[in-house]
Amino acid sequence: MFDNSFVRFLSVAVVMFAVGYIRYGVGLARLKREGEVEEKARTAMATTAKKWSLVAAFLYMVGMVSVAGLFL
Amino acid sequence: MKMMYGMLTALAPAAIFSVFAFGWDALIRIVVGVSTAIVAEFLYQKIAGRKVTATDGSAMVTGLLLSMAVSVSTPVYAVAASVAFGIVAGKQLLGGLGKNLFNPAMFGRLFYLFVFPDSILPWRPPFDVTTSATPLELLRETGQTNGYSILDMFLGRIPGSIGEISSIALILGFSYLVIRKFVRWRIPAAAFSVVLILAVIAGQNPLYHFFAGSLMLGACFMATDPMTSPRFEKGQLILGAGVGLIIMSMRWWGWQTPGVYVFTEGTTFAVLTMNLFVPWFNRLFKPVKKAAPKPA
Repeated sequence: MFDNSFVRFLSVAVVMFAVGYIRYGVGLARLKREGEVEEKARTAMATTAKKWSLVAAFLYMVGMVSVAGLFL
Repeated sequence: MKMMYGMLTALAPAAIFSVFAFGWDALIRIVVGVSTAIVAEFLYQKIAGRKVTATDGSAMVTGLLLSMAVSVSTPVYAVAASVAFGIVAGKQLLGGLGKNLFNPAMFGRLFYLFVFPDSILPWRPPFDVTTSATPLELLRETGQTNGYSILDMFLGRIPGSIGEISSIALILGFSYLVIRKFVRWRIPAAAFSVVLILAVIAGQNPLYHFFAGSLMLGACFMATDPMTSPRFEKGQLILGAGVGLIIMSMRWWGWQTPGVYVFTEGTTFAVLTMNLFVPWFNRLFKPVKKAAPKPA
């Protein structure tokens, strides 16, 4: 399945989107619990979620190449 | 902006050399890389409703660095896709210049290694060089640092990525950056120091390691990115040392792990891994302001 470059690209996009979406959702729920309503807090949470998605993409790509041995 | 155009000037000798070495194929990939970077940044900023900064030089630097870090055998669409990913995900997603976590060129290169692994090989030899084995491949096969003469490696008569082969061209460019004070020189100084020490301990020729692979391109032009490198001196030294250590580890042991072939070089992995620590380095080594003495 991973022979195809398009599939590999899609897998990176899915990982980024999933991690970012989940992190944002978790962060947003916490803000609501704390009664935080400022837009600034939501924006900061979105930035955090994006950082998480980038780190996840990095770990995923490195992991798939080195550990999963995709290049065998 | 001045710094970015200074970086482009510094990369010019290696880029021009690569065109002489590899011909039109190198020029096409460089042009595609730079123009894709500008277009990707322009489109993202327009769609996101941000101020367009596509001509401030930073996108061009990313496009040029990435196109110089790929093999001349790489299909043009792979260069374009990797550059676009580097710009969009590596830079613009977090808000653009100054806010990115990873070096965009290296992030795009990681994407290239993951998504287009088949395009890395073969390494086309430049000029009249007859073998396509790179110095690091020979090191892996023989365990010796005598696969190529040091002079050939210094001048660029070796196979490798488009912009990494000519050490003299890269050194000229880096010297320009140091003179203009556009670069955090402690980072490559630390990286090369660690490589030197480890090579000597292992009984290998340190110059072979200096001039092989993309150590010079990565340590001098990518690890020193002011947006993704530490602001303070101690952090810069540690980052550079970390880059050198990871690169040498990958060169010696990376190839022994199945599937790690593409990280035999290690520069991509080294720079991106150390990028992760930069926010922590900046907090840890931030100078503490001394409190004013209380009046008697």
